[in-house]
Amino acid sequence: MKALEVENLRKTYRYGSKLVEAVRSVSLTLAVGEVLAFLGPNGAGKTTTIKMIAGLIRPDAGRVRIAGVDPHHNPQALRYLGAVLEGNRNLYWRLTPEENLEYFGVLKGLSCREARRRGKVLLERFDLLSKRRTTVQTLSRGMQQKLALAVALVHQPKLLLLDEPTLGLDVEATQYVKALVKAIASEGCAILLTTHQLDIAEELSSSVAIIQKGEIIAASPTRDLIRQFSGTAYTIEVEGELDPARITALQQVGAEVQEERVVYMGSPEGLYQVFEILRPLPLVQVKKDSADLTEIFLKLLQSTDTGLTMTNNK
Amino acid sequence: MLELFLAEFRRSWIQFIRYPVEAIGGIVITTSIFYGLFLSARYIAGPSLQFGDRLDAIVVGYTLWSLVLFIMTDIAGGLQYEAQTGTLEQLFLSPFGAPLVFVMRAFASLVLRLAVILSILLIIMALTGSRLAFPPTLLLPLLTVLLGAYGLAFMMGSLALLLKRVQQLLGIFQFALLFLMATPTETWAGSLQVVRWLLPMTAGAGLLRDLMARGEALNLAQFSLALLNGIGYFTVGLLIFRFAERSAKRRGMLGGY
Repeated sequence: MKALEVENLRKTYRYGSKLVEAVRSVSLTLAVGEVLAFLGPNGAGKTTTIKMIAGLIRPDAGRVRIAGVDPHHNPQALRYLGAVLEGNRNLYWRLTPEENLEYFGVLKGLSCREARRRGKVLLERFDLLSKRRTTVQTLSRGMQQKLALAVALVHQPKLLLLDEPTLGLDVEATQYVKALVKAIASEGCAILLTTHQLDIAEELSSSVAIIQKGEIIAASPTRDLIRQFSGTAYTIEVEGELDPARITALQQVGAEVQEERVVYMGSPEGLYQVFEILRPLPLVQVKKDSADLTEIFLKLLQSTDTGLTMTNNK
Repeated sequence: MLELFLAEFRRSWIQFIRYPVEAIGGIVITTSIFYGLFLSARYIAGPSLQFGDRLDAIVVGYTLWSLVLFIMTDIAGGLQYEAQTGTLEQLFLSPFGAPLVFVMRAFASLVLRLAVILSILLIIMALTGSRLAFPPTLLLPLLTVLLGAYGLAFMMGSLALLLKRVQQLLGIFQFALLFLMATPTETWAGSLQVVRWLLPMTAGAGLLRDLMARGEALNLAQFSLALLNGIGYFTVGLLIFRFAERSAKRRGMLGGY
């Protein structure tokens, strides 16, 4: 069973006499243990989609299933859902971490005893045990974020929604949260995360969906997407200067020589001819041009104006 | 459901004892306002004035007004505060459903509110020399007032869900509540009697004045009508709240502020 199935979600808002289509026919699926980076510029429809998934906004059309249950018709679906929607703002600041965990555990359907037990496990795991009796308002931003994550996990959900989980965190806290997200996914929890930090999305996600003006313009496994947008050029760095005979030979097989670097844009087989010419010079590095998610994201957003979309649902 | 009630009670209790200045401040301010009014009335009327059971009736009305205000602030003010702080959406992510969560929350904080209101009542009695009776039967009309108060609080809470900023409205509404709680509608005659049974909480407040200030026995027929009134307002309040929840979800404005 999929952790999340979203089919053709639509949402239109009315502002006075004006109708604004916030989300148009969005479909997503998320398997157990998968991390989906849900990306898009501000106002693209990310938050509306996430809130429709969580049952907080009612869609005009379409269907949501969390572990097979529709949250808009059966509140029991919310037992399978954890969400950090507004960073550290989903906590009671006057309560301590252990009190927050116990309260939200019961709110999610656990018994008081079970909520307390789970709270203790999570405090230990998230390295918050020493702060368990400190009120949330006096914790650092990073600790609050960790606690918000722990609260969202207290009832062991099958799907976790994370809206900007690393926003405003320092480098150390960001690394910690990233490691936690990876660990949570490896334990079988499906995660849908939104972020504007595309390097983090690239590092954490197994698949990517990009939304623009309420429509999904790309949905694909992260590696496939990067491969698809990566070039075919190889850059080879050699130690020392190349002699004129080698330069001529390299130019004959289509390579370009730039001081101590050789740039080759041909087939992978042709690359070995380049190596033969360079032999026995010591190589410093051989690198294939690789696109990053930021580059891909910007290219895709620009291409939507020309009507190009790209989806590759598994 | 009991677990939810206990969790809500624990949450209210922790917030209450962790910030005692707020609770004590509430008691001091509420008591001083009444004492100020009492002293002013005595000054106007002169030293020979005898209030008799009229003072007791006013004390009952004022204390009930304070209780209803607390309830209103708990639900409507609480909703507005949680929308501001960001925890409101988490409450709507509970598998129990938001109306049940808020009802449990209301009942859990009621115990604390009743304790606070009893302190206010005892201080006012000590300051003014008012002598009220506390027969066990007072719990019955009190229940009708509480049902009506929660019904109205859920209606105001619905406005808070849809409009977010209800501070101004709550400020004005408290004067309407003062009229409902402190006006001796049990003395109204003729067609005004019908109005008395239709207005929220007034019938229960009148019965409480009869029991506590005038030393009368509980009139069962009148209590039944007051109970019907309370159940009616409570049910309508919850229905409006459910409607407001659906409307807020449709308009995508549940958590915004």
